[in-house]
Amino acid sequence: MIDIIFIILSFFAIIGGLGMILFAQPIYSALSLIVCLVALGGVFALLSAPFLFMVQIILYAGAIITLVLFIIMFLNVKSDNLPNEPYKIPTILVGGILLVPFNLLIIKGFSTLEDKPMHIIGEGFGSIKGFGMELFRNWLVPFELISILLLVALVGAVVYLRKEKSDG
Amino acid sequence: MSTALISIVIFNIIVALIVSLVFVPVLVWMERRVAGFIQDRLGPNRCHIGGLRLGGLVQSFADMIKLVFKEDYVPNSVKEKMLFRLSPAIVFATAYLSFMVIPFADDLNIDGKSYIMQALPIEFGILWILAFAGLGVYGLMLGGWASNNKYSLLGGIRAAAQVVSYEAVMGLSLISMLIVYGSTHFGDMVRFQGELIWGIIPAWGVIIQPVAAILFIVTAFAETNRSPFDIAEGESEIVGGFHTEYSAMGFGLFFVGEYIAMGVASALIVTIFFGGYQIPWLNTAALYEHINMVFMVIIVVLPLVSYVFARWIKKNNVWHKKDDVRNKETRWLIIGLIGVNILVIFTLLLFLLFGLEENGINISVALLQVMTFVVKLLMVNFFFIWVRWTLVRFRYDQLQNLAWKVLLPIAIANIFITGIFVVALGV
Repeated sequence: MIDIIFIILSFFAIIGGLGMILFAQPIYSALSLIVCLVALGGVFALLSAPFLFMVQIILYAGAIITLVLFIIMFLNVKSDNLPNEPYKIPTILVGGILLVPFNLLIIKGFSTLEDKPMHIIGEGFGSIKGFGMELFRNWLVPFELISILLLVALVGAVVYLRKEKSDG
Repeated sequence: MSTALISIVIFNIIVALIVSLVFVPVLVWMERRVAGFIQDRLGPNRCHIGGLRLGGLVQSFADMIKLVFKEDYVPNSVKEKMLFRLSPAIVFATAYLSFMVIPFADDLNIDGKSYIMQALPIEFGILWILAFAGLGVYGLMLGGWASNNKYSLLGGIRAAAQVVSYEAVMGLSLISMLIVYGSTHFGDMVRFQGELIWGIIPAWGVIIQPVAAILFIVTAFAETNRSPFDIAEGESEIVGGFHTEYSAMGFGLFFVGEYIAMGVASALIVTIFFGGYQIPWLNTAALYEHINMVFMVIIVVLPLVSYVFARWIKKNNVWHKKDDVRNKETRWLIIGLIGVNILVIFTLLLFLLFGLEENGINISVALLQVMTFVVKLLMVNFFFIWVRWTLVRFRYDQLQNLAWKVLLPIAIANIFITGIFVVALGV
């Protein structure tokens, strides 16, 4: 059962990823990215990480892509304004072929992993409480550093916008 | 899979269906009659099936049937037909799925096993709601964009900007509630609200955290795109906004989705701030203990209320022509009322005489709680409608200023103060 769900989810994730690259119209690219991200969220849920699954949908599929779509719609790209891409398919094929050795390496790495039974470890595994305890007890410093990084980016965005306003 | 599990799951899904989908015509009816009341007119009251008007409720069913059978016209200017078709479905489905995590009653114990009374028994309900609130806006955005019309595009962009900014405030107001309740599970939240503060006041969220309650109610209005935050479809500025080009059931799905979203927002407000399914001063344990007393009170009060209601119907439900079929409605309604009374009193008397075993008491407690929940839900829905017909629409810049410059600082300050209190009191 889990294998079937995994195959369906990974199918959608790959289709979404391909669509993201192949569509000429940016709105369709963004929508394919949503499909890819929601399917990845499903994979997290399958790995009994419900918190990660929900956060993936709230943050990536919900908030970030909404902003991306918002900007695309704001620019209102007409279909005759899109660039002409005559060598799109050959380029992607060449790129895919170049990636084959890398993929082989990953598959080889996976095949050396030990065979372990796939079941949920303990009752509270992946729960919000366990996640929070782990984050705030063992990984507090990296967590705070990342939040400072985000704060700096936020302040940077505000400062950048202020400058443009005073010019115009 | 036991029979108890299957029947409880089916019961929960049916309740979720009724409270979301079947309530839509009721809400439409409420909206029209309340609007009529506020604007000093009657509202729809003529439509009838064989004389049965139900105060105009039949009109909303007629409207639904009309929407289903109308010609579905797609303008030639619409290029992205697939997205155009998909977006009403997204709005409808996300609103409907959000309803699945609302608890209708306390965990039901059958033969020593406990069952969560949600259509989808998961324990991170708040995250689920936030996720689907975020996904629902795609329907509005894509519908507006695919319509290939500048008014629709403006409507879609406005909807997106509004939802993104108000989602931030909503999340922050919820965080202070999470600090208080210490759980993301709606069931735990409602159980917390079943207790009493100093033995007198029910520990409802709105009493413990009035600031968060106001913030959440304001943002819930914005998330459902209802007045005073309905700039996405502000008809005086941008025609119909994102649904300008939709007709028949395409529009119907947007319309139904909007009312379901309102139902979800009301259910959330009830669950987080107004004690959910808890009857004030009578939490699940107390209800279990005093079930016979509750039955007796119902047996006494129900006929009295029905008598007053019947008098009111007799006085007000009159059609101005003498020999019209609609004049017979009053009699049928009163007969129905008496029938319901006899049925309920007879059943409760049987329960009182022969006594209930444990499963029976648990089930009747759950049923009472479902009814309490529905009553509270309708009251908050009424509040939504009341506000819509009282307040005027915000301008776009006022709306963003309110979100980022007023509500967001208050929400952050509220989190800090709540955190300090919780640490200081050590609860």
